[in-house]
Amino acid sequence: MTDSATLFSTRSARRALAQARWRLRFTRTLVYVILVTIATVQAFPLIWMIVTSVKDSHEVFNTVLPAQIKWGNFPRVWFAMNFPVHLANSLYVTSLTVVLVVAFATPAAYAFARYRFPGREVVFYAFIGAMMIPPQAILIPMFQFLKSLYLLNSLTGLALSYVGGGVAFAVFLMRTFFLSLPGELGDSARIDGCNDFQVFWHIYLPLARPGIATVVIIQSLYTWNEFMFANTLITSPGKKTVQSAVFQAVGQYGTDYTALCSGLIIALVPVVIVYLALQRQFISGLTAGALKG
Amino acid sequence: MDRAARPPHLSLRLQRLIPPALFIAPAALALILTMAAPMAAAILLSLQRWDGMSPPRWAGFSNYLNLMQDDTFLRALWHTAYFTTCTVILQTVLPLLIASLLNSGIRGSAVFRTLYFMPVIISLAISGLLWAMLFEPNFGAINSLLRAIGLGAFTPLWLADPNTVMPSIIIVSVWQSLGFYLVIFFAALQSVPNELYEAAELDGANAWSRFLHVTVPTIRPVILIVIVLNTINGIKVFDQIWVMTAGGPDYASATLGTYLYSIAFGAMGASNSRLGYATAISVVILLLSIVVSVIQIRLGRRPDLDSQIEL
Repeated sequence: MTDSATLFSTRSARRALAQARWRLRFTRTLVYVILVTIATVQAFPLIWMIVTSVKDSHEVFNTVLPAQIKWGNFPRVWFAMNFPVHLANSLYVTSLTVVLVVAFATPAAYAFARYRFPGREVVFYAFIGAMMIPPQAILIPMFQFLKSLYLLNSLTGLALSYVGGGVAFAVFLMRTFFLSLPGELGDSARIDGCNDFQVFWHIYLPLARPGIATVVIIQSLYTWNEFMFANTLITSPGKKTVQSAVFQAVGQYGTDYTALCSGLIIALVPVVIVYLALQRQFISGLTAGALKG
Repeated sequence: MDRAARPPHLSLRLQRLIPPALFIAPAALALILTMAAPMAAAILLSLQRWDGMSPPRWAGFSNYLNLMQDDTFLRALWHTAYFTTCTVILQTVLPLLIASLLNSGIRGSAVFRTLYFMPVIISLAISGLLWAMLFEPNFGAINSLLRAIGLGAFTPLWLADPNTVMPSIIIVSVWQSLGFYLVIFFAALQSVPNELYEAAELDGANAWSRFLHVTVPTIRPVILIVIVLNTINGIKVFDQIWVMTAGGPDYASATLGTYLYSIAFGAMGASNSRLGYATAISVVILLLSIVVSVIQIRLGRRPDLDSQIEL
């Protein structure tokens, strides 16, 4: 009696277990199918772009894959679209913006995190509020402002136009970083005779390197990719940044998709290289920026 | 201590202000010069009539009143609302669902996240140019694909058709930002304690109700942030649309951003255009993004529930 009961129960238990296992395997497979489908959709435009860039011009619309990989499109576009100049322009604007943003924002963020002073909250909220300002809102006055300073159509002027928004965001991000550093370090350094500036420069600045790295990554990506200001404040073709140069090229190349795709890839390569090299910092930096914002 | 009991002498208090003031001064100066001053100038300019050449004339609120009667502006406002609503819904729900799938303990989740994230690093302008090629009605990749799988009857003109241009632009936006919001949600999901799920499972909750009753309430603050970010990005949308359609065909995809841009800079240079009028639109964009996100934060905040998660 008892024997048959246990036998029965183990058998049904085994069956239930098998069923559960099968169901688990089924849902697992379903999840993978969904995820792979989405990955395909996400990757398709990029793969299409790469494949098209190595096609022969007459193959573009007829064949899925090129008969022969043609690297020749890249040197052709490299010189025809004047990429060395545009890449150098973008590099200059990006470096100048990043240097200015870090130089201005780091001490300010430090002060917001480490000092108590009347009006601190108000000033800090002014910085946060500035992050909310959409770029369109200041585009037209910025155009006039740079024009009056003879900095219109100047890469330095373009970089300056990015500094305000960048500083607001960087102050915000760096403040949280400085808050996470122990305050005792500064106190003991002060006892040892360091003044305020020395405490900042010798104690906290070296420790803030990871925070600065995040700001550098986010600001570089943002500045490199920025289109509206770059396309508006720079007018002469030789001073265009990569983004607006590629946009201008569309009118010129029309349906020469092999050329356009090669151009887009050249424009993307610097960002992709940095992304692949610093993937983790990239993702965590960008999401940290969003979550704290 | 003595110091705490008696407020320090005024000059001493001022002296203590000096170091933080010096640390903040450069940043504050940069912010005033390149943010606050242009912002104030924009508000002033929106109250003036100005073609960029002859001296501006005071116009009161006439720019704003004219906006109310400008059919193209009202259409642009509607398109902006449409784009913002759709992207807020799609770019919150889809990333959250996919992030939950990735967080369900499957293998290779990091690989998927890297793949999904790729479009995020691409500039809006470049992804717009890329998708404009894909959407090309006659020989673009998407319609070619549709014809190849026997859906030749369903080959829309995409960006060239006033009826499909906004949905097409929304597709690009979802493609581009999926990975970004997904990674945000994924990070939030990882912080949800496993015991909560185990308890719900013991209570007999299936996957869907665990998602609805455990996941969503726990990461509510993050969902709110994603909604606010999506809203702000939706209201100011410009780059992709300008690059793909410039607001066309016939203003069918004009948003506040593209309409203001085409008034101020569309006809090459800013010399013969209505700058005051265009600036009034930019002030509308500013006010909309502030008002809507403040309302969202007010409505979405639940101090009683949200205190557990510290961002």
